[in-house]
Amino acid sequence: MNKLLVTASAVSIFVGLGGIAAAQEYTIGVSNTVQGNGWREEMICAIKAQALDSGLVSSLNIAHRNTDAAGQLEDIRNLIQAGVDAIVVNPANPEGINAAVKEATDAGIIVVAVDQAVTEPSAYVLSNNQEEYGYLGAKWLFEQIGGEGSVVYMRGAAGASADDDRDKGFKRALAEYPGVSVAQEVFTGWQQDQGKQQILDYLATGIPFDGVWTSGIDNVIVDAFVESDAPLVPIVGADNAGFVGQLASVDGLVGAAVTNPGSIGGAGVTLALQILEGNAPAEKTVLVAPELWDNVSDEGKAKIAEAQNPNLDPEWPVSVSIPDFTTYTTEEIIACKGPGE
Amino acid sequence: MTRFLTRHSWSLGLFAILVILLVATRIIQPNFGASGLDSLARAALPFAFATIGMGIVVIAGGIDLSIASIMAVAGVIAALLMQQMGDASAGLVVLIVLLAGVAMGAINGLLIVLTRVPDIVVTLAMLFVWEGVALLILNAPGGTAAPWLRALVVGGVTIPGLPPELTAWLPRAFVVLVAFTLIIWLPLRRSKLGLSIYAIGSDQNAAFRSGVPIGMTRVAAYAFAGLFAALGGLSITLSTGIGEPIAGPYLLASVAAVVLGGISLTGGRGGLLGPIIAVFILRTLRLDLTLLSVDPNVTTIIEGIIMVAVVMIGGLLAMRGPR
Repeated sequence: MNKLLVTASAVSIFVGLGGIAAAQEYTIGVSNTVQGNGWREEMICAIKAQALDSGLVSSLNIAHRNTDAAGQLEDIRNLIQAGVDAIVVNPANPEGINAAVKEATDAGIIVVAVDQAVTEPSAYVLSNNQEEYGYLGAKWLFEQIGGEGSVVYMRGAAGASADDDRDKGFKRALAEYPGVSVAQEVFTGWQQDQGKQQILDYLATGIPFDGVWTSGIDNVIVDAFVESDAPLVPIVGADNAGFVGQLASVDGLVGAAVTNPGSIGGAGVTLALQILEGNAPAEKTVLVAPELWDNVSDEGKAKIAEAQNPNLDPEWPVSVSIPDFTTYTTEEIIACKGPGE
Repeated sequence: MTRFLTRHSWSLGLFAILVILLVATRIIQPNFGASGLDSLARAALPFAFATIGMGIVVIAGGIDLSIASIMAVAGVIAALLMQQMGDASAGLVVLIVLLAGVAMGAINGLLIVLTRVPDIVVTLAMLFVWEGVALLILNAPGGTAAPWLRALVVGGVTIPGLPPELTAWLPRAFVVLVAFTLIIWLPLRRSKLGLSIYAIGSDQNAAFRSGVPIGMTRVAAYAFAGLFAALGGLSITLSTGIGEPIAGPYLLASVAAVVLGGISLTGGRGGLLGPIIAVFILRTLRLDLTLLSVDPNVTTIIEGIIMVAVVMIGGLLAMRGPR
């Protein structure tokens, strides 16, 4: 009798817990290898906000640090050990983490690579098209300077695959405009202070150039021109809040922002949950095409005006959500709270 | 026996911490088993080789800030050559990479000896030089690694004739680490050169007066560091399957493991067992913090605090204990 009672109560507790747990079933692991960069922080916050908003995630396991592909292999394997249901990963490079991705999918874990692709076929890829990003901005810039002249080419981090892809796009545009040459090519390392120092050096030495292409270290470049009273040239940046604000407010600035949404992390969570719920997409790779907003055309001006958001950190991309994928509000992503926080 | 215990008390203490951590891991994640140990050993491999290399130069009274960049150069050379020469020649590639590591280390050492500029300054400068060299060789991640070489560090050990259950828990990556350490370090430590390395780290003047060739010994210590750095770079290429020109976080991690492992930063004291255990402690700690889903921004703070605490407690015990 006693035994029966115990069993009965155990069953009822189990059922009760099950009732609560049914709404929040999954644990999701996250692996990211750049820490302390506005874009990546927005990506992490998008992941947290989307996980919380979906109501389907009981906890997030976030491995977020500065490391290389070998370190990311370790992080992914740790997440496999933690027994997560899905892993959203921003890969350090397309091939270096394939071994661990394969181990994860073999263990029945859904892997979604966001921002950059992985070549392991068992993973889903939800990526910003980085080559197109480079091409779009460069083409606009070369068009803007009339197809003649020289530009300063401020790249991202040497050896990073996103930088490499953007370089391919940039070079493709350069080949289409034989009258344009590169006055200076430099790696900002995607560091604000480094990029600003570099452009200040060029301005101080008086090297002539007609335009600046940046890989997202943008608002400090405009600052440098303004602070040193140098005549502004057309500048291409990313859709970071600071730069988009400058496009609307700085007198005489002609520029364009190319979108590269950090909220792709949140979209990755949505995709992972869809697959876990049995709604896998037909294609394993979804490419998010970048848009270009310039402050010359009416269409671009309207986009820039619409995107203004003074509450955002200047280094955060203004595209805080991705239609059809993310469901959180702007306040939720700024709050940056995940399930259980 | 007592002599062994007192001599290795630091390493034994670290080993106890490692065992506690592994037991804790098992409690946090009851499924933690052979595959967990395997991934732990594979993650530890590049850190361990970097730590051994750093350990040797620190024992010799120096420091090698360029160690992570040497690893990057070795890694990209390995990936590029394996792509160009094919899988069959991968053995030859390994040899070339190890020689390149020795050469890079020797260049570091020669510059220090010839210019008489302090180690920390020369190797800081060489950090940038080797970083540039790696990017010149491969400007973006690329190349390949031979599948048969990659398989050498994956999975458990199988010995023909023994039932696999008996040995499968022992990760191959761990065996590779132990094998290279024993083959290179043990004979070195017992040789005249090994004694000289300890001697110049402990007291350079005394070593000089006892007839130790200071310059040559120092160059040799850096060359050995280069050799182990090359092994580290090679192990990264084998685990990722490509070469990465940007150096990973191995410099600070190796210094941390060397200090935690009981090598005195002033040189001349300590062995390599402690630092290797320290590497495993730091990797297990990272694993546990991930399993517990601790806020990633807090993780590094915890890692730092634990390191300081262990070194401080160890220092206190060493002061109180018999000398």
